[in-house]
Amino acid sequence: MRDVFLPRSLEKLWTYLDESPGALVFAGGTDLLVKTFNGFPEGEALVCLDRIDELKEICQQGESIWIGACATHSGMVASRLVRNTLPALWKAVGEIGSPPVRNMGTIGGNICTASPAGDTLPPLYAMKAEVEILCREGARRLPIAQFIHGPGATGLQKAEIVSAVRIPKPQGLNLQHFEKVGLRSALACSVASLAALARLSPDRVVEEVSLAWGSVAPTVFTCPQAEETLVGRPLCAASLREAAEIVRHRVRPISDVRADAEYRRTVAGNLLLRLGTLS
Amino acid sequence: MKTTMIEVGYPAARFDARSKVSGEEKFAIDYSREAILWAGARRAAMAHAMVRGIDTSRARALPGVHAVLTREDVPGTNRQGIIHKDQPVLAGSRVRHCGEPLALVLAEDRDVLEKALGMIEVDLEPLEAVFDAAEALGADAVRVHESGNLLHKAVIKVGDAGGAFDRCDVVIEDSFEVPGQDHAFLEPQNGLAWQREDGRISMIVSTQAPFRDRFEIAHALGLDPGAIHIVSPCLGGGFGGKDGATVQCLLALGAMRAGGRPVKMVWGREESFNAGYKRHPVRMWYRVGAMRDGTLQCIHCKLIYDTGPYAHLGVEVMALGMEHACGPYRVPNTLVEGWCVHTNNPVSGAMRGFGVCQATFGIESMMDLLASKLGMSRLDIRLKNALRRGDKNGAGITLVNSTGILPCLETLGGHRLFQESEQWKKLAGPYKKRGVGIAATWNAIGYGRGLPDSAIARVELTREGKIRIYSSVSDMGQGNSSAFVQMAGQILTQDASHLEIIQPDTDLAHPSGSSSAGRTTYTFGNALIAACEEMKEKLLHRASLLLMLDEPAGLALLPGIIKHLPSGREIPFDLLGRLFPESDRMAVKQFVMPVARDTLESENEFKLGFPHLLFSYGAHLAYVEVDELTGKTEVKEYLCVTEGGRVINPACFDQQVHGAVVQGLGYGLMEEVLTRQGKILNPNFTNYIIPTSMDVPDITSLCVETEETTGPFGMKGIGEVGMNAPLPAIAGGVEDALGCRINRSPLTAARVLAALDARGVNR
Repeated sequence: MRDVFLPRSLEKLWTYLDESPGALVFAGGTDLLVKTFNGFPEGEALVCLDRIDELKEICQQGESIWIGACATHSGMVASRLVRNTLPALWKAVGEIGSPPVRNMGTIGGNICTASPAGDTLPPLYAMKAEVEILCREGARRLPIAQFIHGPGATGLQKAEIVSAVRIPKPQGLNLQHFEKVGLRSALACSVASLAALARLSPDRVVEEVSLAWGSVAPTVFTCPQAEETLVGRPLCAASLREAAEIVRHRVRPISDVRADAEYRRTVAGNLLLRLGTLS
Repeated sequence: MKTTMIEVGYPAARFDARSKVSGEEKFAIDYSREAILWAGARRAAMAHAMVRGIDTSRARALPGVHAVLTREDVPGTNRQGIIHKDQPVLAGSRVRHCGEPLALVLAEDRDVLEKALGMIEVDLEPLEAVFDAAEALGADAVRVHESGNLLHKAVIKVGDAGGAFDRCDVVIEDSFEVPGQDHAFLEPQNGLAWQREDGRISMIVSTQAPFRDRFEIAHALGLDPGAIHIVSPCLGGGFGGKDGATVQCLLALGAMRAGGRPVKMVWGREESFNAGYKRHPVRMWYRVGAMRDGTLQCIHCKLIYDTGPYAHLGVEVMALGMEHACGPYRVPNTLVEGWCVHTNNPVSGAMRGFGVCQATFGIESMMDLLASKLGMSRLDIRLKNALRRGDKNGAGITLVNSTGILPCLETLGGHRLFQESEQWKKLAGPYKKRGVGIAATWNAIGYGRGLPDSAIARVELTREGKIRIYSSVSDMGQGNSSAFVQMAGQILTQDASHLEIIQPDTDLAHPSGSSSAGRTTYTFGNALIAACEEMKEKLLHRASLLLMLDEPAGLALLPGIIKHLPSGREIPFDLLGRLFPESDRMAVKQFVMPVARDTLESENEFKLGFPHLLFSYGAHLAYVEVDELTGKTEVKEYLCVTEGGRVINPACFDQQVHGAVVQGLGYGLMEEVLTRQGKILNPNFTNYIIPTSMDVPDITSLCVETEETTGPFGMKGIGEVGMNAPLPAIAGGVEDALGCRINRSPLTAARVLAALDARGVNR
């Protein structure tokens, strides 16, 4: 037997968390379900955030886009705001899992699971998103790269939840790209992925670029050296090849049943070359 | 509901579509009874070991555990198997693969069952093991069985392959390798069994072979086959994976020890992977000789089938693969050598394409290589050598029946997709390479010589005035029962509301062979036609009695009635149903498939299942696009042309072809049972990758009709033939795109990228 709490307000949530300090907090439950297959710890209460409406909102707040932690992937796919202002994230959430997984899974869950293969993470890293953390006493914010420590490890403290992610509205970018490589065209765990944002001059000189890779290191991989190589030069096969070489040297991929490290390493670099083909 | 006339040749919706869509149709897994016990097996999880001891005391002591059974509790031979009886129901002294069952637990619920399985203490002493079939053939290899690792070696020989190579203008050689494939059916292996008061055991089970199951269970457990009653509801997928005991012997054993309570066993997905059998991994070596104009002269090949520790249908799978190893071509000199080898890998057995889809990869790849070598088109070299009726095939059989590979290839060649190949290839985007591959294929139908391929159909007029068909061949989704209704409707002029079909029940229907080998509709259909014709004559004669007619002239069967057309008088079916006794209201007829008559040099190489008389044919084309950055290969368009005699239902025909192509695309691009030390690394759908709808292109299915004069309404089975060609068609497309051939399947992104990098592709 296990208690499952379904609070409908933050006030209720804090009460439940006080009563069951060891409770496991979840949202859509898509990752939790998988954990239960491999011996889920017995006894601990579950607290579901899914019914707290204020955590589901997606809105613009000044120069940021605010996405509530319980916004589902389907919700983001349907959001014009996400589609128009955050196309790389929009592309990523549209490719997560399958329709039922997208209907249940949330952005907050994807962040807290902190898998190197979490598909929302490369766009969030590339866009320098901040994670909003809430507890009864108040809120704090952390850049996503500081919030996520390693596979499954985050800076979330006891009695805290992730309430939202705040994304600076991209300004003047004319390249916003996400590509995922999985073992099939849907319902696939990412084997390597790349989110890329760039501002190009009219003659395609890179003025600003931000890159982030999934599934090629213990956390999302960023590479300032590769970005520096690209800035100030036209976005072309030659410069991208140079950057790709740097990336291949710096990624720290693992071998698993889905792919070996060498494949991930090669593809991490190769994915950059695609940027040269985007108009 | 709209009442439709049921006729042959019309693409009617399946007879059982409504019950499937609405959920009314019950599969084996849906059955339950009062007071069931749940059965589960404790498995070895070690590939090769001696059993030092099994301590079941803690599990037995757990409240809610009804019984814990081990080898000591198994009566009879403890050996299951279809032809070779070599697989223990419960292993007692030695473990030969990770899925080997060591103990059977009966428990009140599934939670207790799981707990009890974990409490059984198994003491295994690991033995050295062998996981490579070629290595297993070595003189000092670890022995999986005392008798050695070679289950069977066979040679099919026609003409003089040795001498003929010297006379060839061109000789090419290459090697290929294919891994195991899982059937990945939706409904896992499962069943429900109970011992009745009279001692008989009844079992509702997801099976392709209800009548044969009785003998397999009886042999293993020392029972009278007549004391076993099998009910086979519609299957949630079979694909060969339920052709032979899965849960059957364990369930019967459980039922014997359950004190009359029903026992239910449902394998979880991982258990289904670990304990169920797989398609055989095969290594192939080919040598092909031809003249300058492309005429095939000789083929020599060696095929090594890894059958795992137990035979299952390994020898028969290999026999069929060897019989097809030279492709649907005229080859006067052939030497096909096969080794069926034991290893400590998972057990290999029957699967759609039964040995043929592996060999098709070999021979079709060789045909592409030969075309390149000779500067011929891939289509032309196939057209040049394609079998025609009257030719001898590569196994030495004279093709006296329908032989449609040539029209299949011609239709493919005339199709827009073939004609527009070159233009399509030119439109590849940046970092994309496009190629087009084709493959020809064939697949025998029936069991082959030495094992009578028989079916007995029973048709009855019920008291309520309906025509009832007692099917004795399982419907695993291929639509055979719908075809049977169509055949009966055609002959007896009935609509859907006057027809019903009972799924196989060994106490009600008459013994027939399994639902497999492309023979289900062919063999049972032929028996059914004879039974329906007898029924028709009977109905007309009985009606003429009631109408006081001297003879049945002028009488016609119409939906639910018999009408005297000259006078307009009618006799309703239900009146006949009430007036005549049951023994008079039925017709029972048998059909046995004809066999090949040639005397062959190699005919004693196999005890049964070789050779075959009837084949279906197919020609496939794949538009393939490779991403040079990721290696990902996508099939963008697919064309398949199939010849299976005449078509009973064009919609079902296309569905069978589509399903086979999708399963074949999975086999070609992504499906692979990965093992390390005999343990499956991807025993679930998280990491055993099968295609989703997003991975499947538009599939154009075209039919080339011939008349198979021995077939029911001229048909042959086409359930398997479509499975064989996608892998070689895709591999040919990838070669066309990249200029390099990948000889190891599936063609995963990693393999394709490695091949690209090996060629130093400049990005």
